[in-house]
Amino acid sequence: MSFRVEPGQMFGFVGPNGAGKTTTMRIVMGVLAPDAGEVRWNGEQLHTRMRARFGYMPEERGLYPKMRVKPQLSYLAALHGVDDPDAAADRWIDRLGLTERAGDRVEELSLGNQQRVQLAAALVHEPELLVLDEPFSGLDPVGVDVLSGVLLDYARTGVPVVFSSHQLELVERLCEAVAIIKDGRLVASGTVEELRGPGQKVVKEVIERPTLTDLFREAVK
Amino acid sequence: MINRNVRLVARREITERAGEKSFLISTGITLAIIVLVVVIPPLLGLGGTSEYVIATDAQSRPVAERAVALAGNFDAEVTISDTEPDVRLVGGEIRSEEEPDDTLVGLLQTANQALEPSRRPDLRVVTAEPVDPDRDAKAGLAFFAILMLYGQLIAYGFYVASGVVEEKSSRVVEVLLAAIRPKDLLAGKVIGLGLLGLGQLLLIAVIGVAVAGVTGALDIDGALLTAVALALVWFVLGYAFYASLYAAAGALVPRQEELQSSTTPLTMAILVSFFAGFAVNDDPDGVVAHICAFIPFTAPITMPGRIALGEVPAWEIAASVGVMIAATALLIPLAARIYSAVVLRTGSAVKLSEALRLARQ
Repeated sequence: MSFRVEPGQMFGFVGPNGAGKTTTMRIVMGVLAPDAGEVRWNGEQLHTRMRARFGYMPEERGLYPKMRVKPQLSYLAALHGVDDPDAAADRWIDRLGLTERAGDRVEELSLGNQQRVQLAAALVHEPELLVLDEPFSGLDPVGVDVLSGVLLDYARTGVPVVFSSHQLELVERLCEAVAIIKDGRLVASGTVEELRGPGQKVVKEVIERPTLTDLFREAVK
Repeated sequence: MINRNVRLVARREITERAGEKSFLISTGITLAIIVLVVVIPPLLGLGGTSEYVIATDAQSRPVAERAVALAGNFDAEVTISDTEPDVRLVGGEIRSEEEPDDTLVGLLQTANQALEPSRRPDLRVVTAEPVDPDRDAKAGLAFFAILMLYGQLIAYGFYVASGVVEEKSSRVVEVLLAAIRPKDLLAGKVIGLGLLGLGQLLLIAVIGVAVAGVTGALDIDGALLTAVALALVWFVLGYAFYASLYAAAGALVPRQEELQSSTTPLTMAILVSFFAGFAVNDDPDGVVAHICAFIPFTAPITMPGRIALGEVPAWEIAASVGVMIAATALLIPLAARIYSAVVLRTGSAVKLSEALRLARQ
């Protein structure tokens, strides 16, 4: 498996369960050693100080359940080498609407809030690369919108964002480039445009009806 | 070895654990128990009036009779008889098999002085078996040492293992290892919890010794302080040894619920040492005592008690410490390699044989 991610690119990783998405992400983060091959960042081979500048959100919580929000974010920021970890934590608590919950233990939070803390943990040190494993799983459509917004904002600043998801329309909507993997091998990769090809001309008749998603959004506005 | 990340991890371990209510409560209870155990018995005395029987020869008869008269002042009752006496008054001596009660000796000396004030020399106390004046107290201390070391090693070993497994089951270990090396995470965790355990023991030791000194239960001399200091050293050595093993055990399983199975051998080892400790305290110079000194698993629990009883030659202490350090020095890198190899396996438990194979790579 070989692929490139460009600066500021939203890169989608799709494939069936067990295909190797999580494993690949762990290798990119330097958490797992590859059997062969290498990971390069800006042409350089991966090493520890570099990895500290990446942001990672694993598939499950990835947080200390008994630690409180602010100290935990501050701790993670410090581990990543941030100079003023408390200020960084405060900034992201603010940005993600967690101010009221900053003193609560993670296990006491609602699922939605826990996910926000998890996101904050990945972003608190202003990473240069974002790697997220199934970040949209379990989110309601509003949550999906909020997260998409944050990720797009981040990509716009030039940070490449790599994430995996089973929600293919979402990947199609958000990502400029994707990789499709199966059984540990890359089956297809490239920009969505390339993969989709020029297409065929077809004439269709369309009846417009609101989707359940539209109805939901309307209802909870 | 101690870099910035290790310090950060250690600090987190200490603040999180020390802030837990259960931790504060258990420390408080332990301190309360110490104070009660040391303070209350002397206050209660021997539980009411003591009864003594004195046998005497003709020369010392006046002393004995005076003692009978004065007994009331000492909260005691004295009878003169030749049948099963506590002490014998012979010439100018108080003779007995074992150390006579302080109260009785005090009573007899007073009686002696009362007959001819400041002219008679004090009666000499002669015992068949020369005995340590602090003997009971020292036995108590030795017992206490076993209890404390056993408790701390089990508790802190468990803290390390359950901390490791909590990081696995919550997947936070993935996030951490994306930023720091497994060695640093492990070192910070073990060092942080070790400092906490040592601090707790130090607090208990200081308060225990202070209370014992104030109530007179123990003579605060160099020997006692050395014994206490060595007990703390043994905790550090024992903890370094066991903690690395507990960390590896924790890394082998994916959930808290499965922790029992991987830590059982370690808990057993500490438990066996606990019982060995009692045997050793009963016979500090026996074969069991000497063998246990050189087994790294048992030494931390059996040695402090022996040292408190004052029965260990310096060379044996040094040799025992040496064996401990050597064993730990060999063990820590192995445990660290096992930890690094398996801590990310969050799916299912890893068998020890498999872990060792991975560790060798």
